[in-house]
Amino acid sequence: MAWDLIFWVVCFFINIALLASSFYQLLSLSDLEADHLNPFEASTRINSIVLPEFLLQGFLCISFLLTWHWFMFLFTLPIAAYHLMLYLNRKHLLDVTEIFRDLNTEKKYRFIKLAVYLLLFTVVGCRLLSASIFFFFAWKFEELDIRTSLFY
Amino acid sequence: MGTENPGHPNFPMRPPPGPFASAPPTMTPFSSSRPTPPIPPPPITSVPPAGGPYQQFPTSPFPSTAQSPPIRAPPEGQPPFQPRASQVSASSVSFPPQSQVPPVPMGSSPQSVIFSPSGVNVPQPPTGSLFPGPRPNIRPTFSPPDSSYSATKSTFQPPFPGYPSKKPAVSQAPSPFPAQQGSFMPPPPASSSPFSSQQGSYAPPPPVAAPLGYQSRGQMQHPSSAPPIGGIQSLTEDFSSLSLASLPGSIDPGCDHRTLPRPLDGDEEPSSFTEMYPMNCNPRYLRLTTSGIPSSQSLASRWHLTLGAVVCPLAEDPEGEEVPVINYISTGIIRCRRCRSYVNPYVTFTDAGRKWRCNICALLNDVPGDYFANLDATGRRIDLDQRPELLKGSVEFVAPTDYMNRPPMPPLYFFLIDVSLSAVRSGMIGSSLAQPQMMVISDLDDIFVPLPDDLLVNLSESRNVVETFLDSLPSMFQDNVNVESAFGPAVKAAFMVMSQLGGKLLIFQNTLPSLGVGRLKLRGDDLRAYGTDKEHLLRLPEGSFYKQMAADLTKYQIGVNVYAFSDKYTDIASLGTLAKYTGGQVYYYPNFQSSIHGEKLRHELVRDLTRETAWEAVMRIRCGKGIRCTSYHGNFMLKSTDLLALPTVDCDKAYAVQLSLEETLLTTQTVYLQAVLLYPLSGYTASCGERRIRVHTAAAPVVTDLGEMYRQADTGAIFSLFCRLAIEKTLTNKLEDARNSLQLRIVKALREYRNLYAVQHRLGSRMIYPDSLKFLCSYGLALSKSVPLKGGYADAQLDERCGAGFTMMALPVKRLLKLLYPSLIRIDEYLLKPSAQTDDFKNIMKRLPLVAESLDSRGLYLYDDGFRFVIWFGRMLSPDVAKNLLGADFAAELSKVQSLVNEAILVATRLLNRILLNMLFLFCWFLCISERLRPFLSALRHDEVVLNSPGSFMFPTQVILSEHDNEMSRRLMRILKKLRESDPSYYQLPYLVRQGEQPKEGLLLLVNLLEDQMGGTSGYVDWIMQIHRQVQQNT
Repeated sequence: MAWDLIFWVVCFFINIALLASSFYQLLSLSDLEADHLNPFEASTRINSIVLPEFLLQGFLCISFLLTWHWFMFLFTLPIAAYHLMLYLNRKHLLDVTEIFRDLNTEKKYRFIKLAVYLLLFTVVGCRLLSASIFFFFAWKFEELDIRTSLFY
Repeated sequence: MGTENPGHPNFPMRPPPGPFASAPPTMTPFSSSRPTPPIPPPPITSVPPAGGPYQQFPTSPFPSTAQSPPIRAPPEGQPPFQPRASQVSASSVSFPPQSQVPPVPMGSSPQSVIFSPSGVNVPQPPTGSLFPGPRPNIRPTFSPPDSSYSATKSTFQPPFPGYPSKKPAVSQAPSPFPAQQGSFMPPPPASSSPFSSQQGSYAPPPPVAAPLGYQSRGQMQHPSSAPPIGGIQSLTEDFSSLSLASLPGSIDPGCDHRTLPRPLDGDEEPSSFTEMYPMNCNPRYLRLTTSGIPSSQSLASRWHLTLGAVVCPLAEDPEGEEVPVINYISTGIIRCRRCRSYVNPYVTFTDAGRKWRCNICALLNDVPGDYFANLDATGRRIDLDQRPELLKGSVEFVAPTDYMNRPPMPPLYFFLIDVSLSAVRSGMIGSSLAQPQMMVISDLDDIFVPLPDDLLVNLSESRNVVETFLDSLPSMFQDNVNVESAFGPAVKAAFMVMSQLGGKLLIFQNTLPSLGVGRLKLRGDDLRAYGTDKEHLLRLPEGSFYKQMAADLTKYQIGVNVYAFSDKYTDIASLGTLAKYTGGQVYYYPNFQSSIHGEKLRHELVRDLTRETAWEAVMRIRCGKGIRCTSYHGNFMLKSTDLLALPTVDCDKAYAVQLSLEETLLTTQTVYLQAVLLYPLSGYTASCGERRIRVHTAAAPVVTDLGEMYRQADTGAIFSLFCRLAIEKTLTNKLEDARNSLQLRIVKALREYRNLYAVQHRLGSRMIYPDSLKFLCSYGLALSKSVPLKGGYADAQLDERCGAGFTMMALPVKRLLKLLYPSLIRIDEYLLKPSAQTDDFKNIMKRLPLVAESLDSRGLYLYDDGFRFVIWFGRMLSPDVAKNLLGADFAAELSKVQSLVNEAILVATRLLNRILLNMLFLFCWFLCISERLRPFLSALRHDEVVLNSPGSFMFPTQVILSEHDNEMSRRLMRILKKLRESDPSYYQLPYLVRQGEQPKEGLLLLVNLLEDQMGGTSGYVDWIMQIHRQVQQNT
């Protein structure tokens, strides 16, 4: 019971971190486009959080698998696989010299990722909510266990 | 061409260029009967007056027979009668003014009509009108000299009406006038049109009504079929055409390669650009791919030649045309409040001079009090003539201090020399202790001694005062047998040292970096990679170190020039990245031997160090409302979306930009572009320490007609852009894809053009193209056969490919075109000419088409692509010539293979190699102690010529020859010198090749004869046919 709730709380925060990272990267790219940021700084900023983001996302994906949350696992799998592919091809970091040429594709890629994270966020939010509700329900009315019928 | 192949019976096979389909019925009957009866009379009458003069010119033998043979165009592609139009000229064929007479008689006997002896195949169309023909002919005569070219061009145009459809009929005509050489030949039945349409192909749109007489140049005209004059003029065409139909019974693929347009005149700067807007900056600074900006996106999308511009901000000014410098420090520089563009000739002053309207964003700005001047009645400022910025398209403002982050730095040259290695070429492998060496040269006396220890472990002993270091360096590494190179750490160290000041880092690299960070693998030129998806990876820098390093160098205003020497794989793709993103340049000397290439290296290094260089510059291109710069191509790094960071920039660098329309419809009549280069002046000039802003402004009309865009096209700028796009494409795709996309662009462009005219005119199987793009196909072929794009694995070494790619990404338009279509000239006639008259270089500089046929085994030819000379000795060339040029000894050697000499020179080479290095060090030493480089450097220049005597290509033996004491040798030197002076940016090293000397001849020269079919690549004729076929598909 409590573990479930803790798990979702952790997921929730990881998700928030992922969202923040995506958002920050997008913001940096927009700043770069608007000339508020020079390419050196923008690429340093973005590149410094790319790997943490990948690791966090990968951790999330694997933890879903290990906790047997099939649906959530499949939901996060595509992005994790894509990250892995980028990393293996050594294309995960921004190329500072050609940053302006790649700007649009990079932005699009991060927009899509942001959208997926948002979706994930709502799902995780629901799970967290339900987990917490059941945690409290279970605590108050232990006989009432409708969780399985509702959510599984 | 005519002169070269006098004896060739050459029948232009193409039908007359003009797509005039009128008057068909009359033609047919004449076709068979036409030749004899009517023709003779007119020529006879006309010939007498002109006959005398003609015969003076060997190239234009006019037989006095009835038929006046049309003269073939001279090699330059100029119309033969050009001279006439522009008074007498000394050029190849001159027509005496009398030649215009012929038409007159003809006019009087309309029946006979037809071929005027003026050689132009002038059809005298006018029936009944006596002098219509002649008059127009005369007109060009009076045209001012400078317009002679266009005037003559315009004459070519219009093919005769009714002509196209007539082709078959014409071919029957027994009296075709072979366009070739004057000699009259009976046309083989196969030739469809006796008159070569070569000239026709050059026809530009006639701005002026084309003179009647010339209208149907290249056409046979029958009198009775001739339409009225008015008709002719109205039918004036604005495109040129080539007939490519394959002819029945002919073996030839269907077109005569001699008549194809070739860029033998080199680059032609677009004239319309400056004519229309005289206050525009000179085209050497800025050229647009088309001077007609499309008015709508839909129109722009039909222009397949990419809309863009090529900017060479610091192009060398000829004497007397320097960019005026204006000092407005006190009043402040006048700029638009909104778009920040600079005041320029196209701004308009209103409100009695109190306001000015920005031409770029149309904002009304206030005129500051200090800058105020009243307007005269016409609205011009009364002080206009004292304001160069309001008169000239190119000006330089002295910028106030707040324009830059920091005061101008002293120029810093940093030499990073790879000494570990095969610089000595000993071939022995010793123990490995990396020895990256560094030298700091500044023309200040302060020297950067302190270096972070941890970075330069290898340098611990060398971190003394630089003088002592320099003194000891040559001896230190004299016996170095190290083959390892710690390039990465060395660059890093250099970066640390230079980051305070910025400057130029010159890297001399001889081996593959093998130690420390940035070490490279011998990924080699893998045959198996070609044709696969991995192919392009070889052309990309390995790992992220080089890109990151390049970015850091740029950030700290360090420009890198890479000099690479190795005979083995050095991964230029990676090393060159440093130069590419720092505004630098790659010099690649494959198989470097100081005895051979030392001269070249010295000249190019001297050039690199002495040319006017702007440091830590930034460039921005502002476009008028509605258009936008979308991408930039060249050696630089973008600092923000539209700001090019150029740590070093000089006159040998050009940048290309692609433009696109921002709005679906442009409402303005004119579009303005302003290229601004901001840089601190430093270096050797007196005004050292000033900041300058160089502003180039250009205006271009907005057009609504696609045809107009084509008419205003600029082939040079187009290919500069194409070349960069294609090279960039090779970095992400296969070579073949890059070539195909280039071809596709050309095909699309020509198809679109064809569609413009296909409806009005019956084009048949002719290929049409605007006069402005007559060289589209030849340069397209040249580009796809250029080193970065050509062939596959075996056709060029990977390093060579990448080196050429980096070079071509930075070349200004003129030099690029020269490299694409090099010049081939025959020089033996000039050398042997008895007269002492030596100054008429123009005459000898008659460029020949790059086909093997151009080479005559009795001749001596000079091939010049701007980077090297190849002197080709024909097999039958008189031995005296070789003896005179090379000296008796070498002449003898030239005729035999000598392995012993090879051996001897090998030894000498090793010594010389060292000497060369020493020279470099000394050189740096001089830099250290003297700010005044120029006298010293100019003293370095010798007039020696390095001659490559025959030997194996891979190890060419060379002899250094100075001028011999005979006239012939002096003349040759003079030619070489002259050619070198015309383009000082690279030093052309002469290579000697004997005819039939394999494989050297093939590698040096034959492979560069790009119009020939060779090793699976198509020749010029095939290429044209191929393009034509594709153009016709889906039309």
